[in-house]
Amino acid sequence: MRAMIAPDQGEEANAKIKAIYIYNFTKYIEWPQDYKTGNFIVGVLGSNASLLGELNKMASAKTVGTQKFEIKNIASASEATNCHIVYILNDKSAQLADVVGKVKGKSALIVTDKEGLASKGAAINFVIVENKQKIELNKSNIERYKLKVAEQLVSMAVPVK
Amino acid sequence: MLQLKRFVLWMFLLAIVTTSYAQQSKVNAAYTFLQNSQLDSAKVYIDAAVLHPETSNDGQAWYLRGFVYKSIYNQKEKSDRQSASRLEALNSFKKSLSVDTSSENVQENIKNIKYLATTLYNDAGASLDAVDYKIAIDNFSKFLQFYALIDNSPENIKQKNIDFNLAIASVYTKIFEGDRKGKLEYLNLAKSSYNKVLELDPNNIGANYNMGILYYNQAVNLINQSDYDLDIVALSDIQDNSIKLFKESLPFMEKAYSLDPRRKETLLGLSGIYFSLNEFDKSNMFKLKLEEIEKQK
Repeated sequence: MRAMIAPDQGEEANAKIKAIYIYNFTKYIEWPQDYKTGNFIVGVLGSNASLLGELNKMASAKTVGTQKFEIKNIASASEATNCHIVYILNDKSAQLADVVGKVKGKSALIVTDKEGLASKGAAINFVIVENKQKIELNKSNIERYKLKVAEQLVSMAVPVK
Repeated sequence: MLQLKRFVLWMFLLAIVTTSYAQQSKVNAAYTFLQNSQLDSAKVYIDAAVLHPETSNDGQAWYLRGFVYKSIYNQKEKSDRQSASRLEALNSFKKSLSVDTSSENVQENIKNIKYLATTLYNDAGASLDAVDYKIAIDNFSKFLQFYALIDNSPENIKQKNIDFNLAIASVYTKIFEGDRKGKLEYLNLAKSSYNKVLELDPNNIGANYNMGILYYNQAVNLINQSDYDLDIVALSDIQDNSIKLFKESLPFMEKAYSLDPRRKETLLGLSGIYFSLNEFDKSNMFKLKLEEIEKQK
């Protein structure tokens, strides 16, 4: 008579929020014309099975204009060079400088997951504010890579500390 | 004139005696039919007897009526979880109890009420599924009504209420989980049932844990059911709502943890809630506790 209810997966919910954000980045940020052919590549540096799972689900359901998503779990900064978005997970945050060096002159949106990285080269950094997943946005770190960001996204981000 | 008055008075007295005798003979007839297993006839006579003012407050007549209907229930309606005869029997024994307080009568009525009330309780338990749960609720409510006549112990009644509400909450949860979008009202019914348990027993681990998981799952679902197209503003609203639900889940899970700090499900639940609240240090702390317990096995 005393059945226990099975819990759902909280990790998947957190990953889903980030996947929704990442899909939104493709709507509010414009890549140069020569990046609008072929697949839209999201490189994930670091390990997070739930996140990769969610991004792959998103990739199979959505596109960026006519471009198909391609999710790549990359092992090092050198694999980031042909990515539209490079998402450096928390456990690989130390490689931010390497990634910045590798994508210099390219049009890559660098997304990170650790406090303070928006002022160290990341364009967008996921932060937690009062239990809530939010983003910090460093406009100059976006424009440096010839990307155009809509003011709407800028206004929804929290100021970079 | 005086003679006429005397005649009317005699006729009136004769009518009373005859009626009284007639009602008593109906009771006797019903008894005879019962002994001969002619239950339908026994029912006709005893129903007529208890309706008549002469025997309507006769404890023995009501007891016999209870017995007749109990026999009908046992012989013809035992597989009917909504047996009308069982209720007639119970109400008759109850009436008999109220009009005849002699110890022999009380004992006999209590014995029969106890037997029939137990069948109501068992039928309530047997109906605890997505199809028949309303029968379960109805039978349990009737069980309580009659059980109170034979057992005045508040603790026993409380325990029966706890057990039933835990069980019905599980049924509601199962219905809700079968169709989370379409059967949202069952989530609220499940919460309401667990709340009833917690009002009676705030330290009930099962109710605390399940209540925590109900809120937790609701929050997780709110996010997982969202489309990738969701705008950031709408995502922000969904996060606000889910955080509120995660925070509602927390006190229940914390309470379950305080009651049994080594229970694995609770540790997993707390780790999940704190993870979802992006409080990763706390989430990891409970995850480590869980790993330690699993290592000790």
